[in-house]
Amino acid sequence: MKNIAIIGSGAGGLITSSKLAKDLSKEIKNGEVTITLFDKKREQEFQPGYLEVAFRGTDPSKIRRPVKKLVSTGVKMVYDNVEKVDLADRYVKTEGSSEKINYDYIIISTGSSPDYEQIDGLKQANMDFHTDAYNASLIYNRISSIKSGKIVVGIGGLPYKCPPSPNESAFMLDEYFRKRGIRDDVEIVYITPFTRIYSAESINEVIEPMYERRDIESITAFNTDTVDAEKKELTSLEGETLKYDYLFLTPPHKPAGFLKGSEMSDEDGWVKVDKKDLHITTYDNGFAIGDTTNIPISKAGVEAHLEGIVVANNIAAEITGTEQKIKFTGRTQCSMETGFHKATFVVGTYDRPVEKIEPSTMNYMEKKAMEKIYWGSLHGHYEWLFKYHFKKDYFEK
Amino acid sequence: MTTLNVDSRGTACPGPITDLIRAYKKAQNGDLIILVANDPGAVPDSKAWCERTKNEFVGSKDVENAFEITIRVTGKKS
Ligand SMILES: Cc1cc2nc3c(=O)[nH]c(=O)nc-3n(C[C@H](O)[C@H](O)[C@H](O)COP(=O)(O)OP(=O)(O)OC[C@H]3O[C@@H](n4cnc5c(N)ncnc54)[C@H](O)[C@@H]3O)c2cc1C
Repeated sequence: MKNIAIIGSGAGGLITSSKLAKDLSKEIKNGEVTITLFDKKREQEFQPGYLEVAFRGTDPSKIRRPVKKLVSTGVKMVYDNVEKVDLADRYVKTEGSSEKINYDYIIISTGSSPDYEQIDGLKQANMDFHTDAYNASLIYNRISSIKSGKIVVGIGGLPYKCPPSPNESAFMLDEYFRKRGIRDDVEIVYITPFTRIYSAESINEVIEPMYERRDIESITAFNTDTVDAEKKELTSLEGETLKYDYLFLTPPHKPAGFLKGSEMSDEDGWVKVDKKDLHITTYDNGFAIGDTTNIPISKAGVEAHLEGIVVANNIAAEITGTEQKIKFTGRTQCSMETGFHKATFVVGTYDRPVEKIEPSTMNYMEKKAMEKIYWGSLHGHYEWLFKYHFKKDYFEK
Repeated sequence: MTTLNVDSRGTACPGPITDLIRAYKKAQNGDLIILVANDPGAVPDSKAWCERTKNEFVGSKDVENAFEITIRVTGKKS
């Protein structure tokens, strides 16, 4: 009997459990394998949709689904969070319980979330579209009442998930206020700790002229240190200050609390894994995927998905004895909406630098298509399409 | 004075600069950050970053198929 434990029922955890359930369906039926997914959340949200909620007023209920509809047949869902993973003795404990739940394989996909502790004053001053759909909806309420003033958006600290999302917020605000006919009365300022508006040069070449044309001011190499909510002022690590009337910064992110200080994590709590087969360094039967890893690529759903496919395939291959092992190529594909029904993509792999892709309506339609198939993709219904789309980047032999 | 060693090998743009900025946040004026990266963009990007943030780009040298970049933290407000 082999027990597989998966922690986190988000983008990475769900596709991993679905693929394992499919590849090991015979073994599950015969009672030789169990797959258990742990997460106290009973509803999941389509996180890229937070931008639509915050800047276009989409109702949060449109981007939510009950977890029970997302879990594939053959997977046992436990609605509890895990608070301890013991890699040496191969067990997990859920919050508040002393029961040791043994496993043979473990996959950690606990994501990342905003860490307001890192920047003094940010919590009191800021509204963000990275926490959840409800918080994102508060931004839309706020912008609906803005008649004039200075809005500061951008990167508050590193790392954070979905690298293009702060840029998208600037573009979407520009569109929103143009449509309302009051763009001239609203100043939009984008700040970033990088020396370019988008960190990868190829994408920066595309969007820098667009920022100029759209009259979005940019301040690069700005390392936010503190925020004074009363004075409505940001101060950088270098002592520069910046005034704002409204602040919608992307906060730096943190991993799940139980990972900090654990043997598998770096000093900030990100899990140290092999960047190609995703095993936790020094433990062959432990894996981490998605936002929670320390691998040096963007924290995004496409990566979590492709990593999940690799890990599920390799565990199933080991259990069934086929040894058809595969590797993750480092493929990224983050969409960047540039407003007015256009988008570009940030595409690269471990071996290929980020490509220059001009914004187009076709790209925007591709992004919209992904929204439509997202929930089904967590069940593994669209792997044929991803295989076709990603070609040799889907995985490496 | 502390020396912070940051190994960014195998990370491509914007990896090394992300790692540099994260180390910088934890550093104090006078500290050295030694960044090892094999992304060729890391050297010009670190130079540009130092100029913009008023930190000192001490130098870079080749080491085992990578670049070792040394930065002295001088730009932080006291
Ligand atoms: C505004 C925005 C726009 C985005 N746009 C894109 C995009 O265009 N393209 C793209 O690819 N990605 C995008 N993303 C990023 C994408 O949503 C995430 O990278 C992806 O969800 C990561 O998957 P994951 O499985 O690592 O984490 P998540 O999907 O966040 O899931 C983590 C799960 O772990 C659970 N968990 C946490 N701690 C515990 C615990 N102790 N025990 C049990 N469970 C736990 C959480 O409850 C959560 O359900 C965007 C994100 C945001 C916020």
